[in-house]
Amino acid sequence: MPVASWLEPTSLDQACDLLADDEFESTALAGGTAVSLMLKMGFLDPERLVSLARLPGLDQIDVGDDHVDIGAAVSLSQVAQHATLRACLPSLATACASVGNVRVRNIATLGGNLAEADYASDPPAVLVSLGAVCVIRGPSGERRAGVEDVVVGHYTTSLEPGELITSVRIPTPPGRSATYLKYLTRSSEDRPCIGVAARVDRAEARPDASVTGLDVVVGAVAGTPQRVAEATEAEVGRPLDRAAADRLATAYAEAIDPIDDARGSSWYRTQMIEVFVRRAVIELSDGPGRGGTA
Amino acid sequence: MPDPEVATTKVRFDLNGSVAAVDAPIGQPLLTTLREGLGIRSARGTCGVGVCGTCTVLVDGRAASACLLMTQQVDGREVVTSEGLVGDHGELDEVQDAFLGANAFQCSFCIPAMVLTVRAHLDEHPDADAEDVREALAGNLCRCGSYPEILAAVDELVAARAADDVAARAADDAAVDREDPR
Amino acid sequence: MTAHTSVIGTDFPVRDARDRVTGSIRFVLDHAVPDMAHARLVTSQLPHARIRSIDTDAATAMPGVVTVVTGADLVDRDGLDPYFGDQRADQPAIAIDKVRHVGEPVAVVVADSAATAREAALRVVVDYDPLDHVVDAEEALELGAPTLHDAHPGNDCGAWGLHRGDVDAALADADHVYRGTWTTPPGSHVPMEPHVCIARWEDEAHDGRTGNGDDRGHGGRSLHVWSAAQSPHAVRTALSGMFGLPEDDVRVEVGNLGGAYGAKGQVKIEPLVACAALVAGRPVRLELDRDEVFFTIGRHAAVVRLTTGMDAQGHIVARDVDVVYNAGAYAVTSPGATRQALVRAPGPYRLANVRLRSRAAYTNTVPTGPFRGAMTAQVCFAYESQLDDIAADLGIDPVELRRRNLLREGDVFATGEELEDVHFTSLLDDAATAIGWDEPLPATAPGRVRGRGLGIMLKSTITPSRTEVRLAVDTAGRIRLDSSSVEMGQGVTATLVQLVADWLEVDPDLVDVPAPDTARTPFDTTTSSSRTTFSAGAAVRDAIAALRDELAALAAGQWGCDRDDVEVDGGTVMRRADPASAVTWAELVAASGRDEVLVDGVFQSRDELDSTDPMDVHGRATVHWHQGAAAVEVEVDVETGRVTVERAHGNCWAGRVVSPLRVRQQNQGCIVFGLGPALFEQVVYEGGQFTNPNLSEYLLPSILDVPRDLTSSALEGGPDSELHGVGEMALPGLAPAIANALFHATGARVRDLPLTPERVLRALREAGATPDRATGTIPERASDPAGTGAGDPTTMGGASAHA
Repeated sequence: MPVASWLEPTSLDQACDLLADDEFESTALAGGTAVSLMLKMGFLDPERLVSLARLPGLDQIDVGDDHVDIGAAVSLSQVAQHATLRACLPSLATACASVGNVRVRNIATLGGNLAEADYASDPPAVLVSLGAVCVIRGPSGERRAGVEDVVVGHYTTSLEPGELITSVRIPTPPGRSATYLKYLTRSSEDRPCIGVAARVDRAEARPDASVTGLDVVVGAVAGTPQRVAEATEAEVGRPLDRAAADRLATAYAEAIDPIDDARGSSWYRTQMIEVFVRRAVIELSDGPGRGGTA
Repeated sequence: MPDPEVATTKVRFDLNGSVAAVDAPIGQPLLTTLREGLGIRSARGTCGVGVCGTCTVLVDGRAASACLLMTQQVDGREVVTSEGLVGDHGELDEVQDAFLGANAFQCSFCIPAMVLTVRAHLDEHPDADAEDVREALAGNLCRCGSYPEILAAVDELVAARAADDVAARAADDAAVDREDPR
Repeated sequence: MTAHTSVIGTDFPVRDARDRVTGSIRFVLDHAVPDMAHARLVTSQLPHARIRSIDTDAATAMPGVVTVVTGADLVDRDGLDPYFGDQRADQPAIAIDKVRHVGEPVAVVVADSAATAREAALRVVVDYDPLDHVVDAEEALELGAPTLHDAHPGNDCGAWGLHRGDVDAALADADHVYRGTWTTPPGSHVPMEPHVCIARWEDEAHDGRTGNGDDRGHGGRSLHVWSAAQSPHAVRTALSGMFGLPEDDVRVEVGNLGGAYGAKGQVKIEPLVACAALVAGRPVRLELDRDEVFFTIGRHAAVVRLTTGMDAQGHIVARDVDVVYNAGAYAVTSPGATRQALVRAPGPYRLANVRLRSRAAYTNTVPTGPFRGAMTAQVCFAYESQLDDIAADLGIDPVELRRRNLLREGDVFATGEELEDVHFTSLLDDAATAIGWDEPLPATAPGRVRGRGLGIMLKSTITPSRTEVRLAVDTAGRIRLDSSSVEMGQGVTATLVQLVADWLEVDPDLVDVPAPDTARTPFDTTTSSSRTTFSAGAAVRDAIAALRDELAALAAGQWGCDRDDVEVDGGTVMRRADPASAVTWAELVAASGRDEVLVDGVFQSRDELDSTDPMDVHGRATVHWHQGAAAVEVEVDVETGRVTVERAHGNCWAGRVVSPLRVRQQNQGCIVFGLGPALFEQVVYEGGQFTNPNLSEYLLPSILDVPRDLTSSALEGGPDSELHGVGEMALPGLAPAIANALFHATGARVRDLPLTPERVLRALREAGATPDRATGTIPERASDPAGTGAGDPTTMGGASAHA
C-alpha cells in the first residue's frame, strides 16, 4: 500500500513519541538510503514515514580528550573526510570512506548505518572494535549500549519501538592503534567478502610495548560482527608480534563459522578470516595502521 | 496525474536555479519526480538501487542517487542536474568541456552523471588530484568501457586547473608585489 | 570547387557529441506519445510450471487500470499469432499455458500511470502447477530431462557438426594428446539503458493511405513502434508476421541506444507491448525494471570439451571440439548461432584434422542471444588456455607455439575454404610486444606474483546479411543518407558521414544521417556482429556509384549531351570539354524540377556454408573473418587468490581505419567490458531461481577495476583494404589471457569462468603454489614445465618473463 503520511518531527521527544505510537506502523529514516531500498523491494510497508532530517543537534562531531562523540545524523562522508577523525580514528574513517559509493556516503548517516544492522556494512565491525557506545533516546529517556549490544542479528537491532540512536561515543585513549581491512572478491563496488577491524592499546606508544587491550572484529561473515574474546584476551600483556598474528589468525579461523554467499563460500571465508586477521594484526604490530581495501 | 488513493505532499525545491513546486506521492523517488513531472532527462534510471550512478544529481552541491532519494527529502534544498551545468548562453561547464575534448563518451547514457560526480568532487575538494576524482567516480558505471577516456578527461582537467591555480597565484603575487610599497 | 580534405582516418566527431556530454541527446527512454498508457509486467517466479489460472480482478478493479492482458487474451484472437522468434516461432508475447523460466512475463497490467500499473501488478494472482525444471544444458540433453517445448523433443535447439581429415587416426599417431573441459557460466549484457518500447495502433497507414477496412486485420489499422532495438527491420518482420500486417503497415523507429552489446538484437519486448496496446486500445509504453532486463536476454553458458594432438615439434596435428551451449527457454538465434559457433570453435590455427560439434539445449533459464564476442569467447577461453598448457608441457614459449600453428594467408580453414586477408601472426607479435612479453617482470611485494598471458581469436561475422541504403541530394545541395544502422555510441553516424563525404568528395557538414525509421530508412539485417562498418560501407559505396551515374544522366539530359561527356566531381558536374559549364549538384537538382535525386545502394552477402547435412557443414563461413588478440600482465595475491589485471592490451585487424579513436574505444571497451565476465560476472541459478538479477549482486567493472596500463592497437591495411567492424575483437582473448597469466605466474590453471579468487585459491592449492604462512612466499613449484622460473616471488622479478 502507498505510504499515507510523511512526518518531520522537529524535536527528539516528538520523534520518539511518533515512533512509539503503536496505532500506526511507522518507519524512521535519516538519510533514507536503506529505507528507500527496502520500500522498493517490499520489505517495508509502513503507514508513516518519519523523517529525522529536521531534528536539531544530531549532526555534531565533538572531539574530547579521551573520546569522540559523533551525532547520529552525521553522514558517512563527513566521518570519512573529517580531518581530526582521520587522525584520531583512522580505522573508522577508512571504513566510512569505503561504504557503497560517494552518493550513498553523502546521504547515509552513521546512526542510520547502525540502525540498519547490515551484516556486510563496514562501520559496525570497526565501531565494535573501538568499543563504541550508542547513546539511545526513547520514550522513557536515554540509555547507552555498546554497538555489539545494539547490532544483535542479521539486520536486527535491540532498539525498542520509539528508540533512536542519537550519537555514538568512541573512546580515544592514548597508545591506541587501529586498522580496518576490507576484502573484495568481485568488482571495486562490491560489498566486502570480509572486513577485519583491529584495535590495540599499549602502555606506551611503541610497537614492541606490551598490549594492554586488543580487539579484532570480523564483519560480513555472519549476521553480526564477530570477535573471539578468548583469543584476544590471551594476547594482553604480551607484545603484538607476528607470532601473535598467527595465533589470532588461527583462532579466528577456527572459531568463526562463516556464511556462504556469492562473495565467497564458507570454506573460502574461513581461509580469508585467517589471512586478513593476520594481515590486520601485522599491520598493528608494525605501528599505527590506516587500513584499506584489497 | 496523481492517483487519488495516493497521499502526496507539497515539495518545493530549487531545481537548476528555478523554483520547482510539486505534489509528490509520499516516498516517490526524486528521479521519478524529475523525469515525469519536471522535464529532466539527463538523470536516467538504470539499476534502481543506487549502484550504477546514472541518476546522479547534486543536492546542496553533493552527489546523490535520485533513485534512492525520496522527493520529500529535497524539500527546501537545492538540486542540480546536468541541465543546470550549462550556462544561460549554452556555455559548457569546465567538466563538460573536458569530457567533450577527451571524447569521453560512447552510448552516453552514463555521461551526464559522471560529469556531475566530477563537478561535485572538485567543488568540495578544489585541490583534488586525478586519483581522488577516480575514486569518486568508482560509483558511476559505464558498460561501453569509456573509462580510459573519462580518466583522460579528468587528468586533463585537473592539470589545467592546477596550471590555472599556479597562474592565479602568480598573478596574485604580482599584484601583491605591485601593492607592496617596499 | 575546392579540393576535398579526406576525413576517413581522422577522429571525425559524432555530430551530437556536445549533447551526449550535457545529457540532451534523446533515447527511446525519453520518448512519449499522447494518451499513452503505462505497462507493468507480472513475471513468473517459477522456472517451469503450467499456468492454472490468473486472477486479474483485484488489479482490474483499481482506479486508473486500463486492462490486464494475459496469454489467454492472445490465443484465438483474430488475426494474431502470439508467437515469435528469430529462427523458431517458439516464444509467446506473454506466457501461454505454461512458463519456462523465472522472470517470463505472465501478465501485463496497463494503467494510466506507471505507479498505478506497478501497484496493480502486485494484485495479480497467478496459480501455478509446478513442473520439473532443468537449468544445465548437458542435463537438458539427457534422456528423460524435462521437455520445454513439445515441438522440440530432447530440448534440441540446434546441433551441427564439421569434420576434415581423420581426427581419430591423427590423435592415435600424435606424440602428445591433451584433453580438457572449460566452462563459461550464463551472463548478462547489462546495457545501462533498459529495454523500452512504445506501441501505438494507428488508423492511418504509414504511407499516407487511410485504413482500408478489415482486410488488413486489426480494424485496418497499422502499428507504430518506438523501441530501443538493434535490428529495427527484424522487429518489423516479426510484428508484421504476428499481426498479419503487410510490412509497410508496421513502422519501427529507433533513436540512440543507451548500450546494447547484443541485448537489444532481434525482437524482445516489442510483441508484448504491441499486444498490450491492441488489447488496451491505447498507446502503451513499457520500460523494463533492471531485474526484467536480466530476465529478458542473457549470454549462452557453454561447456567446451577440447582434445588436441601435437607432434614432437609443437605442431597441432588434430583437434576435436565438442561444445554444448545453453540456449535458455526460447530459441532466439541459438539454432543458427550454434552453426556460426561451429566455425568459431577451432581457433585461428592450421588444422589438417579437425572435428567440431556444436549443440544448444533448451533449459529453464533466461533466453540467450548474441553477446559481445558471441559464441567465440566461450571457445576461445578453451583453445587459448589449452595452448598454454601444451606450451608448458612441451617446454615451448607460448608465443612461439602459436607462431608455429597460426593460420596464414592462403591456408585452408577447417571449413575447407581458403583464407585471405589473414593477419594472426602480426596480431600475435603486436600483442606480445605491447605487453613486454620478453621483458623481466617487475618486482612485487611478498605474497604477490606477476605473470603474463595472451589470447588470440577468429570470429565469423553474421552471414548471410543484407544492408540497403538510400542516398539523396536535394536542391540545396545537402546530402542525406538513409540507413537503418543503429547508433549505440559506437559512432556509426559519424562513420557513415565520413564514408559518404570522402567517397563523394564533399564537405561532411553537408551530409545528414537521420535516425532509423523503417518507414523511411531501408532494410538492414542488424547492427551487431561487428558487421556495420563493412556492410553499410559496401552499401554506401554502391549508392555512391549509382548517384554519380544518376547525376551524370541528369546533366546529360539537361545539356543534350552524351552522359560519358559529363564529369561528376565533388559537388559539381560539368561537360568534360567545357569547364565553364560546371554547375553545382544543387543547381542541377533544382533545374530538374525534382526535390531530390535519390538512389539506392545495397550490400548482400550470401550463405556459402553448406549445411545440407547438419553434421557435415563446410564451405565459406563468412564474408570476412574478424581477427583480434588480448594480452595482459596480472598480479596474483597468492594468499587470497585475487587476480588484478595490471596491464592490458587489445588489438584487432582493422583493415582500412575510418576513425582511429573509435577503433581504440572499441578495443579498450572490449577489455573493460571483458574484465567482468573474466573475473567475476555470472548469473547464478539456485533451484531454478535466478538469484542475482540486480546490480548489487551482478557486479560490473568500475573505473577502479580498469588496468592502470591499458593500450590498444589497430592493425591497418592500406587505402585499398577492406573496411572492418571492430566491436568485439579484443574481447574473446581476454579471459584466456588472464587465465594464462595466472598460470604463468603460479602454475595454477582455472578452467571455469569467472576466475573468482576462490577458484584461483583452490587451483593454487592444487598446484602446490600455496604460501608459506610465516613469510608469505610460495614454495618452489614441483615442476616448472614452462621454464618460467616461477618460484620465490621476491626473486622472480629479475627472471625473464617467458625465457
